[in-house]
Amino acid sequence: MNNVEAKFILQGYRPNGADAGDATFCAALDQTKQDPTLHEWFAREQAFDSAISAKLAHIQVPAGLREAILAGGRVTAPDTTRRSWWRHPALLAMAACLAVVFITTFALWPKAVVASEDLTTFALDDTLYNKNHGGHGAEAGALQAFLMQPTTRLGGSLPVDFAALRKAGCRAVNLNDREVLEVCFKRNGTWFHCYIAQRADFPALAAGTTPALVERKGAGVASWSDASRLYVVVTAAGDSALEKLL
Amino acid sequence: MQDSIPCMAVDIFNQLVDAHYTPLFRFALSLTKNSSDAGDLTQQTFFIWAKQGHALRETAKAKSWLFTTLYREFLRGRRRAERVTALEDLGPAEADPVAPAVDVVTGMDASLVVEALQEVDEVYRAPLTLFYMQDFSYKEIADMLEVPIGTVMSRLSRGKAQLRAALARKETEARHKVVSFQNNPARKLS
Repeated sequence: MNNVEAKFILQGYRPNGADAGDATFCAALDQTKQDPTLHEWFAREQAFDSAISAKLAHIQVPAGLREAILAGGRVTAPDTTRRSWWRHPALLAMAACLAVVFITTFALWPKAVVASEDLTTFALDDTLYNKNHGGHGAEAGALQAFLMQPTTRLGGSLPVDFAALRKAGCRAVNLNDREVLEVCFKRNGTWFHCYIAQRADFPALAAGTTPALVERKGAGVASWSDASRLYVVVTAAGDSALEKLL
Repeated sequence: MQDSIPCMAVDIFNQLVDAHYTPLFRFALSLTKNSSDAGDLTQQTFFIWAKQGHALRETAKAKSWLFTTLYREFLRGRRRAERVTALEDLGPAEADPVAPAVDVVTGMDASLVVEALQEVDEVYRAPLTLFYMQDFSYKEIADMLEVPIGTVMSRLSRGKAQLRAALARKETEARHKVVSFQNNPARKLS
């Protein structure tokens, strides 16, 4: 170690001797004992540092600072809960990204699919799991007769008077506070269930006038709409049976 | 009562304030160069402790936590990262610059020495002030400022060089003021 290196290290040696036990300074301190020039420099350095430290210790703290801190501390509410893992900035950022992706996906997903899922899922489950199907009264009978005609093709407008159907005893069910009517009919020895809803009750639904046919849970489901109503026809016989009616 | 520190913590808080508010203020004063800002920064540091510090498992570390927090709060207020980088790129420190004799420094007013310290570039001033307060080793200073030990040594060396130069200027200015006062005929007439 030369004197330049020794000086560099000894600049960090506190004048109050608090670093006497620090091994980092041992070699440099030893060198001050062997080199009079370095020894003289170190003595000057320590005296200078000591004088500066003494001056700093004379800095007066403004009156009232202590009282202000204590008073402020008393009204400062502590965070009594440990920082939860989910409040970590990185995880928060990740959660925010996922939320954005989720919201964007939800916003951009075709509304017709979402809305029709609501109605078609209900119609499918009602067909498969509910034994209480219906279609009674004059109006229901007329619609049944129309649907049972071998020449009737599903799609477009059906001869439905919604209010009259409801009054005539057609089965009405509640789907999320929206009324859905159901009429059952038979074609080619197979039962079909026709669900009719007001289009205004499902404003997000953008189903076209041409029936969309899908198979779910082994059942056939066809859905379409006209200007004022939505239609879903379901049969447990599968989509091939339903396809013959389109 | 959820709006204040629990009673048991009040005692700890008071003890911490009494033990550290003076050195914290001195450190803050060297950073901010302004007594009012230094007071605010010191208070802010303790208020952060009041809010978060109880989470410290080792109260022995409260002291370095307070100094570290004060420094971070200061940096947050200053946003001078570019300035710091630029200063780090300066050439080697002047070797043993002319410095006033120790007895001259001893005879100087404390406020004048503080002014000289405040003229040292900020990047060197923080470790230098902590060093002169003698409460922390260079290793602890490195931890607080989040820089390598070698950097602390280097900054101390450069900081001391700047401080000596500033003290020499202050001393010269003070001497000239005395001379001009003595040579002022108007003062003699009064």
